[in-house]
Amino acid sequence: MPELRKLHDVFVAEVGGIDLTRPTCSNDIAFVEAAIAEYAVLVFRDQRITDEQQLAFSRSFGDLEETRGTGISKPGEQRLHPAFADVSNLDTDNTVLARDNRRRLYSLGNMLWHSDSSFKPIPATYSLLSGRVVVERGGETEFADMRAAHDALDAETKAEIADLVCEHSLIYSRETLGFGDLTDTERATMRPARQVLTRTHPVSLRKSIYLASHIGKINGWPVPEARAFIRDLTEHATQPQFVYRHQWRPFDLVMWDNRCTMHRARRFDSTQVRDMRRTTVAGIAPTVSRESLAAE
Amino acid sequence: MHIRTVQNDFVGEVTGIDICKPLTGDDVAAIERGMDEHAVLTFPDQPLTDEQQVAFTENFGELEITLAGQMAKPEERRFQQLVLGDISNFNGADTTRLRARDDKRRMYALANRLWHSDASFRAVGAGYTLLHARIVPGKGADTQFADMRAAYDALSEAAKNEAENLICEHSIVFSREQIGFGDYNPGHEEHLKPVPHRLVITHPKTGRKSLYLSSHIGGIVGWPIPEARAFIRDLTEHATQPQFVYSHKWRVGDMVMWDNRTVMHRATRFDDLKEVRDLRRTSLKGVGLAVKQAIAAE
Repeated sequence: MPELRKLHDVFVAEVGGIDLTRPTCSNDIAFVEAAIAEYAVLVFRDQRITDEQQLAFSRSFGDLEETRGTGISKPGEQRLHPAFADVSNLDTDNTVLARDNRRRLYSLGNMLWHSDSSFKPIPATYSLLSGRVVVERGGETEFADMRAAHDALDAETKAEIADLVCEHSLIYSRETLGFGDLTDTERATMRPARQVLTRTHPVSLRKSIYLASHIGKINGWPVPEARAFIRDLTEHATQPQFVYRHQWRPFDLVMWDNRCTMHRARRFDSTQVRDMRRTTVAGIAPTVSRESLAAE
Repeated sequence: MHIRTVQNDFVGEVTGIDICKPLTGDDVAAIERGMDEHAVLTFPDQPLTDEQQVAFTENFGELEITLAGQMAKPEERRFQQLVLGDISNFNGADTTRLRARDDKRRMYALANRLWHSDASFRAVGAGYTLLHARIVPGKGADTQFADMRAAYDALSEAAKNEAENLICEHSIVFSREQIGFGDYNPGHEEHLKPVPHRLVITHPKTGRKSLYLSSHIGGIVGWPIPEARAFIRDLTEHATQPQFVYSHKWRVGDMVMWDNRTVMHRATRFDDLKEVRDLRRTSLKGVGLAVKQAIAAE
């Protein structure tokens, strides 16, 4: 029987009693779905899975996103199956990327708080990240609970953000770190998507703040005012009481719900190998209603 | 004159002195000692005029002009005297109206909500800044201060060693870029060029080390830009943790003075389209920043 152990005051649980190297039964999947609706982040320890096993487990929760055509990797430059986001610091020949490597500098954007695929018109639900080779020091992943962050807002701010719509794009998060030398083709694939700022989770029915470093604008607001406000909200939402820091052990698999959490990578010695593989479950609907899109 | 400690060795409140009147040499020395022992001093209930604020500031060094005033067209300015910084939301000299939501001066000033050290984009940086409250809004608009000496002390040895010899590039352009502002009046290219400063500086009088951080930083010499920015963000996050921060709730007549070599600060939000906030800023040219060493290291 699967079991849960709580790892943080407001979210995050460790799941025991499930072996992801074997086919999972529908009871196990139902258990995981119920657990993630409550805890938002689940940690599975000692899961020595292959890529195929990670794909199979991930597909239990829906269709997977293809990562091709979102970032800056070109066909033939990918180390992994197209349903994987390669969160490693390795080149196709498994050597560590050089300090000034373009893909490395691009990936440093993961050190900013974000929610995966918030820049897509239909953003992701779950991400599953498997730590195949982890670094000894640093390289933690931090998660922040956007439901607890929403609950802790004062009534005035809750009302202020209730109906705001933000523009998300990879261009904005990369610009923040001064990574701006994108090609026209890349810019075209990174066209902004609109998302509501306050989301309600379809299962838990809890409200959360849908924040990400991909946000560059709030509809109807002057840009600098929007950015300053989003920074303030992000600072509020990532206070220590809402944050869990995951220290990776080899073959940890961490699964989170992008609809109600943000996460970020922490710094590590980039000459060390870090091989992390992410699968991402696609969402099924935009966060912004058709009516409000049409009204613009 | 008495200094009451408000927050450990960081913030002190000065009473028993009338700073509207000329000071004696002993008063000036006592205030300077207080500034060295703390890094922020507050002087409540001081109904200074502009002239009195300028005269008080001159006791401590040579006044610096504000870049916002310097780069503004004369008709955009509220005060023609450039040493007097207009930290208000009035529509320039027209104090019957507030700045409109999309006013360029408002957009520029919104970057004050990012943690910064005043004039770190100048080759000499700034010494003290003095801010005097004339009109304060009912809610919000605190100024927050972060102690860069305590933040430095709290770094691990490895982090101190890593930071020790780094040289950062500062420009007003970098802080404004972060909030998506880039609309400068033409003819000020010189003011927008990055200047180098050491990341770790030593205070010329106290000998204490501090992190010389600022949202004006856009790069570290010798580092790829995204790596530099990510690193500076991490350091800034470290340096602005609650234990290093003091929030000043303004009352009319408050004069707050801080040392930009050891303190970062930022404004916080208020309803600036409806409520008036009127503060006056004076500041001193930086002295004692190890800029020469910084340039020599390049």
